[in-house]
Amino acid sequence: MASLLVLIPLFAVIVMNLPLKGMRELSFPAALLLIIAQTGLAFMMPPSFWNMAPPSGIGSNFSLNFTVDALGVVMLISIGLVSFAAIISGWRTIGGTDQTQKADFASILLLCIAGMNGIVMVNDLFSLYVFLEIVAVASFVLISFHRDIWALEGAFKYIIMSAVATIMMLASIGLLLMLAGDTSFATVAAALKSSDRNFLMVLAVGLFTVGLFIKGGLVPFHGWLPDAYSTAPSGVSVLLAGIVTKTTGVYTLIRLVTSVFGFTESVMSILLAVGLISIVVGALAALGQKDFKRMLAYSSISQVGYIILGLGAGNAYGVMGAVFHLFNHSIFKSQLFINSAAVEEQTGTRDMDKLGGLGSKMPVTSTTSLIALLSTVGIPPFSGFWSKLIIIIALWQSANYFSALVAVVASVITLAYFLSMQRRVFFGKLRAGLENITEAKLGNLVPAIILALITIAVGVCFPYILEKFILPIKDIIPLVIKN
Amino acid sequence: MIEKLMFALIAIPAIAGVLALVVPSRIRGAREFIAMLATILNLFIIIALFGKTHSFSYPWVGFGLEFSMRLYHFSSFIILASAGFSFLICMYSTTFMMNKNHVGQFYAYLLLSVAMVNGAVLADNLVVLLFFWEGLLLTLFGMIIIGHKGAYKTAVKAFIIAGVTDLCLMLGIGLVFYITKGNLTISKLNIPLDTALASTAFILIMIGAISKAGSMPFHSWIPDAAVDAPLPFMAFLPAALEKLLGIYLLARISLDMFQLTAFSWVSTLMMVIGSLTILFAVMMALVQKDYKKLLSYHAISQVGYMILGIGTAVPAGIVGGLFHMINHAMYKSCLFLTGGSVEKQTGTTDLARLGGIGKYMPVTFTCFIIAAAAISGVPPLNGFFSKELVYDGALERHWIFYAAALLGSFLTAASFLKLGHAAYLGKESPAVRNVKEAPMPMLIPMIVIAGGCVLFGLYNPLPLNNLIQPILGDKLEGHNYTGWPHSVFLVVMTLVALAAAYANHLFGVRKAGKAIGASDHIHHAPGLSEIYDAAEKGLLDPYNIGLKIAGFIASLAWRIDRGVDWLYDTLTVESAYDLTDIIKEQHTGKYSTYIIWSLVGLLVIILYFSISLI
Repeated sequence: MASLLVLIPLFAVIVMNLPLKGMRELSFPAALLLIIAQTGLAFMMPPSFWNMAPPSGIGSNFSLNFTVDALGVVMLISIGLVSFAAIISGWRTIGGTDQTQKADFASILLLCIAGMNGIVMVNDLFSLYVFLEIVAVASFVLISFHRDIWALEGAFKYIIMSAVATIMMLASIGLLLMLAGDTSFATVAAALKSSDRNFLMVLAVGLFTVGLFIKGGLVPFHGWLPDAYSTAPSGVSVLLAGIVTKTTGVYTLIRLVTSVFGFTESVMSILLAVGLISIVVGALAALGQKDFKRMLAYSSISQVGYIILGLGAGNAYGVMGAVFHLFNHSIFKSQLFINSAAVEEQTGTRDMDKLGGLGSKMPVTSTTSLIALLSTVGIPPFSGFWSKLIIIIALWQSANYFSALVAVVASVITLAYFLSMQRRVFFGKLRAGLENITEAKLGNLVPAIILALITIAVGVCFPYILEKFILPIKDIIPLVIKN
Repeated sequence: MIEKLMFALIAIPAIAGVLALVVPSRIRGAREFIAMLATILNLFIIIALFGKTHSFSYPWVGFGLEFSMRLYHFSSFIILASAGFSFLICMYSTTFMMNKNHVGQFYAYLLLSVAMVNGAVLADNLVVLLFFWEGLLLTLFGMIIIGHKGAYKTAVKAFIIAGVTDLCLMLGIGLVFYITKGNLTISKLNIPLDTALASTAFILIMIGAISKAGSMPFHSWIPDAAVDAPLPFMAFLPAALEKLLGIYLLARISLDMFQLTAFSWVSTLMMVIGSLTILFAVMMALVQKDYKKLLSYHAISQVGYMILGIGTAVPAGIVGGLFHMINHAMYKSCLFLTGGSVEKQTGTTDLARLGGIGKYMPVTFTCFIIAAAAISGVPPLNGFFSKELVYDGALERHWIFYAAALLGSFLTAASFLKLGHAAYLGKESPAVRNVKEAPMPMLIPMIVIAGGCVLFGLYNPLPLNNLIQPILGDKLEGHNYTGWPHSVFLVVMTLVALAAAYANHLFGVRKAGKAIGASDHIHHAPGLSEIYDAAEKGLLDPYNIGLKIAGFIASLAWRIDRGVDWLYDTLTVESAYDLTDIIKEQHTGKYSTYIIWSLVGLLVIILYFSISLI
């Protein structure tokens, strides 16, 4: 069944582009339907559902080696939710009134989703690389979709940096193939484990790790990220920040470290170091931003730092916390990007110094953004509190007291830049010239409200979520600690 | 039955107090009626219970704390006294408080105070005692604050002083709990004072007790309250009920809760506190020019005799101290009531504006003379006998304490000569011409109490045999202190002191030319005048000194707080923004820079991995 998650979107892309009448108008609803189906199924079905053999005739002709586990389920849900928010948010604005452009957008979005689904389910390094490239290329196009000069620059930077990452990963795959004779996760992991470690091995691991750092936008490999996020069309920023970099960079890192590289001391120290630097630099940089979306972009860097920090703890709690935080981050960061899109659409600017007092004019946007930021900072009862708590507990258990301390202190900086954002944009006195602002359009309100409700629900129903989605992750990860 | 009546002693005044508060003021006389009824009932119940012994206990708040009560001769004696005073003062107030503000609150606090005192005295568990003891804090605050608009300052002062000393009491009780490993039943305690911990516990509880009694250095709210609070309050709480309660606890800890022995340092400490209280307060009383304020300083000074007497830890002293407690409650409330009559009839208590009212208010004047003679220790009134016993005890310890007490007597007599002369005799002041005698409900309490002073003096076996001496029990060591003092020396010395006071008064009046200036030669004596000036400015008030220290600590804390604030609000924020600026400067937007960063990062990571290989 798992292969259908890739095959159906690809098939849909082909159908949507058939030169038939009315097909263009149908592409958006069709894409939405597929996304909702994926989200619903991923939420309700256990991993075993996906690992069943596909009905004969359709999938059996494509022998793709896919597996879905508890970690994959969480990712599939995240992909579905964020894509849902992105497509609803972009429905009206993307491509203006041009139906052809809209259809193109839907196609590329589905391609991107297919790529991400593939990343989540693959079992070997080379397939992983292929799907990474699918997502990357789809993302370049999406960022520069409006051919806006700044967006082109952002996309260009992304292409260049991604190319660097690609080179590194491809080189790494080559080395590993040479060492292990195969690229499947299991073989490579076994090869890395059994043989004496040598320079080529660490070079391969290092190259792949750095490639993923670039994809994930971790400091100091993050240079492309603020430009790409902030210049992309609003729906695309949601997708990029919410899930694309998280899947291509962060999920892959979690997967490879847990299943292939193993938790060696040096990998853990590198993860902790990069995580800490990302948290602090991202948060401090966010503090100095005037552009709403740019601020959110830096905030993303900082939050990804938390995920990597959790992973770097090297124990089961750390991995669970990292995955949970990844999920939560995809929810609340998407929501903040939607809110920023709403503000930009209503006022025409993203410069926070030109905004103020919008809370009275856009109460829903203001409230949902407050919920999202409180969740990001880690205030109970919102979802972000629990994932941060698990990460900090994991750090404490693994005796990384300093990292735990920094993680807590950085929350204060997070609170500082977010409250400063909330105050500059939504609270306070209404700035002159903004008297005629109205509440955001439905396209932005609906996903904002849904995501805010999810943030609250996950926080309040945390025991259920923990039991059903987070704790299973512990069982499927072979926690290999190598020295 | 006894148990129910014991509960009634607490419940009836408490319920009546709440009723007095909620009864609408439209119903004329309702509150007065409730109060009178409750105090009469209270009096009857305790008379019925008098002489009986009963104790019981119920499980209470947990932690092994039980609601235990004990009725025996000492507690019934205190309750009887308090019931008598509350009845008389209630009667007095029906007239005095008429047409004043906050009448409902006044009766409510009065009755609640009675309930609290009854509860505290009956309590046989220190926590139960503390419970009722703290309840008095509220009624004290309430009583003062209803005085007038500006009274809240005094009320807060009283509240803080009483609150702090109650805290000491609480700590002391906590220590007792610790020392006895969980036993807080008063009748079962008998802690030897041989460890520092036990002594500390004793002193902490003693602080609570003597401060309730109004001793120095916890006295300074009393003179202020004398001016601010309604007058019956003064006659009721500081002069009578609080003295009874405070000295009751002091006697309990000295007699049976702790093993206080003569010549122990704790006993000496109590005597020193007692002597200093006598002297300093009476020196202040001497120079007062206000009827009520003068009396209030005596209310402090007389506590000194009680603490001195009990502190001697010899039978004569203890009997004297306890006898003085009940005597003082009588004559001091009587004196305050005469002050209230004068205030009610003339509208002032300023001695400069009074004078010659004795002939218009003969009954008040007579009561004043009796009470003033009693407080000065003129034989054969009650104050004389109790003071002689205290002298006896003090002399047994050391002559210096005796000397201090005697000097206090001399000054007491001098100040009352001045007060009586200035208020009731001498030239008639135009302001008070043709004032009338006080109405009956105010006169009866005064007459009753003054009569009691005479009775307790002439027939001192009555109180001593029935009320005081049974308290000591074995500690009496077979002595009997009834009748005329045993030592001729002491009597002669007392008479000499009284004569000296009279001579001094005559000298002062002649020198100043008027009765109110009778103490001026002492007031302005070289060396003393500076001290008096400082005292009048409030510089010597421990409360003010405490406030200054607190103010200093507060400003210090404020500075520290500013520093911490600066650390958070300025240093942290500034350095965060500085870092932000540095980071922003690095993000030039050139992808070449970013690629270099990535490659350098890659290099570092590969290097790190390689190093881990070695």
